[in-house]
Amino acid sequence: MLDWVGTLLRLGLAAVWLVSGWIKVSDPNQTFIAVQAYDLLPGALVSVVAAAMPFLELALGLLLLVGLGTRLTAVLSGLVLLAFIGAVAQSWARGLSIDCGCFGGGGQVAAGDTRYPQELARDIGFLAMAVWLAVRPRTRFSVDSRFTGTS
Amino acid sequence: MGGAERNARKRRQGQTGATPAARNAVAAARGAKTDRNKIIIGVLVVLVIAGAVIGGVVYTNNKKNATVGQTIPVHQVSLAVPVVREDAAVVVGKDTAKVTVDVYEDFLCPVCASFEDRYGPQLDQQLEAGTVKVRYHLVNMLATRSDPEGYSTDSANAALLAADEGKFLAFHKSLFAEQPEEGARGWTKDQLVDLGRAVGATSPAFADGVRTGKYDQLITEAYQKASTTDYLLQDLGDGRKAFGTPTIAANGTALDISDPKWLDNLIAAPQG
Repeated sequence: MLDWVGTLLRLGLAAVWLVSGWIKVSDPNQTFIAVQAYDLLPGALVSVVAAAMPFLELALGLLLLVGLGTRLTAVLSGLVLLAFIGAVAQSWARGLSIDCGCFGGGGQVAAGDTRYPQELARDIGFLAMAVWLAVRPRTRFSVDSRFTGTS
Repeated sequence: MGGAERNARKRRQGQTGATPAARNAVAAARGAKTDRNKIIIGVLVVLVIAGAVIGGVVYTNNKKNATVGQTIPVHQVSLAVPVVREDAAVVVGKDTAKVTVDVYEDFLCPVCASFEDRYGPQLDQQLEAGTVKVRYHLVNMLATRSDPEGYSTDSANAALLAADEGKFLAFHKSLFAEQPEEGARGWTKDQLVDLGRAVGATSPAFADGVRTGKYDQLITEAYQKASTTDYLLQDLGDGRKAFGTPTIAANGTALDISDPKWLDNLIAAPQG
């Protein structure tokens, strides 16, 4: 039974990464603006992070989708989500008016148009999914289960 | 006794019959295999991620560098009016003009390009007729919005230098007509120098000024001043105000350019 819950969470988190990664890959200029708006990194690093992040998300999504190295992938997903949560939280704390750009978009928005609580809640939800899979990575239909011979 | 039951008993006997040493050996072998599988999986995960990230960075950089190696196409302006640089602004128009329109623009700002596209011809007409002067304020508000940063400043600086050479109009029009995308690579200083040369700004002073950023400081100061000038700020709707581009003003008042007849109305209004 718990394997099935894990399977749902694994595929769900895979979908999150694949969708958010794909949207960002499709519009690299917008992704650059979104990363830049966090005002955290020097210019040259913004460029690299904005180029790398969408593909990191796609890779995590793909690994979760096929269930390869679920525990490791879940731990890495959790770390990436923690970084996102930290980045959004610091923007909120510093009073920046930005959209998180989590699923496309991003950049400066009008002061009244920020949605920090929702964005954080959503990311914490995704983090919970990653934590489950890190603690209990056994799921159905995974490449992992072929390797270990269980289920 | 059924066959299945007999087999089950045989298995149990087999298990209990094995020596402890043999059982440990089996468990150890299984453990070693699991460990090896874990390492293989770990390596695969790292390879997939590293491959995606490295490939992605290369792919994205190629895609974003669309402006590399190109020449900025020239858009000529057939307008014979005086052009004078005043600090970080460029005043265009005949002395007979009673109305002066202040235009605050950033060469990287897409809405500014739309403004130029939509109202540029109207303004040119009025400039030609001598009814209006335009004071172009070239701000570098989006200096961090190109990759690498700084296109806003470089382009504004180059436009001021083009004004010194009397070639502002074509330079200004070409840069808006061939605007690079926000978040992507802008035109480089070398490409700006080439554009200047193509519109007739051939002096070494122009090229040197573009490369050394002669008016960068002036532009930044003018932008700071504009962004703290109350009447130029746009209301964000929740009591806060912010400077944005394009901002169009005349006689110390910002104009609402969402009204398509703003220019006609301004010309028709009695001038005080």
